[in-house]
Amino acid sequence: MGNVIECNNLTHYYGKKMVYENLNIHVREGSILGLLGKNGTGKTTTINILNGFLQPRSGECLIYGENSQHLPPATKARIGFLIEGHIQYAFMNIHQIEKFYSGFYPNWKPAPYWELMSRLKVTPTQKISTMSCGQRSQVALGLILAQNPDLLILDDFSMGLDPGYRRLFIDYLREYAKAENKTIFTTSHIIQDMERLIDDVLIMDYNRVLAQCPISEFMTTFKRFDFELENDQVDLKNLKFVKNLEMVKNKVELYTYESKEFVQKFLENNGVGHKGFNQVKMELEDAFIGLTGKY
Amino acid sequence: MWKSIVYKEWLKIRWFLIGFTILGIVGIGYLFLKVQHGFTFQGGTSFWYNILFMGLQFFGFFKYFPLLGGLIIGVAQYFPETINKRIKLTFHLPLKENNVLLIMHAIGVVCLVLSYMLLLGVFITLSTIYFPSQMVFDSVVSVTPWFLAGLVAYFFVALIVLEPVWMYRLLYAMVAGFFVNIYVKSPVIAAYGPAIPGLFVLTILMSVVLLFSAYRFRKGEM
Repeated sequence: MGNVIECNNLTHYYGKKMVYENLNIHVREGSILGLLGKNGTGKTTTINILNGFLQPRSGECLIYGENSQHLPPATKARIGFLIEGHIQYAFMNIHQIEKFYSGFYPNWKPAPYWELMSRLKVTPTQKISTMSCGQRSQVALGLILAQNPDLLILDDFSMGLDPGYRRLFIDYLREYAKAENKTIFTTSHIIQDMERLIDDVLIMDYNRVLAQCPISEFMTTFKRFDFELENDQVDLKNLKFVKNLEMVKNKVELYTYESKEFVQKFLENNGVGHKGFNQVKMELEDAFIGLTGKY
Repeated sequence: MWKSIVYKEWLKIRWFLIGFTILGIVGIGYLFLKVQHGFTFQGGTSFWYNILFMGLQFFGFFKYFPLLGGLIIGVAQYFPETINKRIKLTFHLPLKENNVLLIMHAIGVVCLVLSYMLLLGVFITLSTIYFPSQMVFDSVVSVTPWFLAGLVAYFFVALIVLEPVWMYRLLYAMVAGFFVNIYVKSPVIAAYGPAIPGLFVLTILMSVVLLFSAYRFRKGEM
């Protein structure tokens, strides 16, 4: 399977502020990639470049082999795009918006849209602007499903959604993507949701990529070890194998890709007195915070 | 696809367009009520004298009405596209970005022109009741630049509303003011007669200015 998205040596600045330099991203066909990062690390910038709303300083993004800055209409028809906040034409009602979009896509499948709409307690003439955030998310999702695109680009789909709608959105999306071999590129602030959804993870920090791999690989290779130091003046933070270290008094949370044996051996060989050493099982959110730090 | 775009644009502007047109008809009705009033209370001779020798524009009240129409339709059509940057949805449609905008623009122009033609038709019909054909003709020559000014206002509203940077919006507003002023400058009846072909050309040239804002938006100007 080839790559649906390929970003090569992507560099972007806002004025003199660097967002990232030489960023390389690839998204395999049929996979779901989650782009994770703290605020301001360039997630929406990347989405904007992918959709041709922002010209990068240098480098390029290819979608189905076409430069994202000049996507031909046929390629755009293969991409479903969810704007942050589930933005849609809010002056329309659910019938009007379905009628509007159906005119653009020859493969339009209204059934999934109306199935989702049947769950919403909205009147046929109710404008989208008067709907709740959760209801709007279902409208936006339903439209994308009806468009039946090969690639879905979702910018922070969880924004403003309560846990029930988030779960509904994710379960619907994953089932759809896997059944129809769709490719998804998504960002979300709510990391715990991503674990249920994504196959591959890309974690960005300010100006750099911290991890890009299958989520199963990340969750097995990235580890957290907790222990108490006998001497809290010992500096472990700058060691090469330590990806992050959180310390409160003498209690240490050490994050690394190395094995338990390696870390224990290192501490013993270097005479770092400690007690209560144990590996802590992590969810994706813990691992994300472990890798990127707590600000 | 264009039918879908027509549908969306119509949903945005329909009530504003209908409202403006009704208001325009009412305004023209008021205009001729005043004409009737002038004939009745000043006497025909005095009223004619004022028109022929004192330069009275009996339709002067109507001067900025087309301009108002251009502003209303422009805002009604383009402002909803800028809320939460919905223009991204429009640019994501499977058409070339400039083509989508030009189709939207053409729909706005057609709606505005149809409204203007209806108003002009009512104006001409009522004028022929009170005035001879030469005077009706001169009146139409006088109001034509005002209608063109309405179109220019519409074009610049599109440019200004779609522009992402406020500083540029102010700059465009000043340029718009300069150009619109060209169309509404002279108070003399039929003074614009020789200039009308040139004004038509100028109006057509300005019809695509919104593409500049769209270009800036797509390059990521915030």
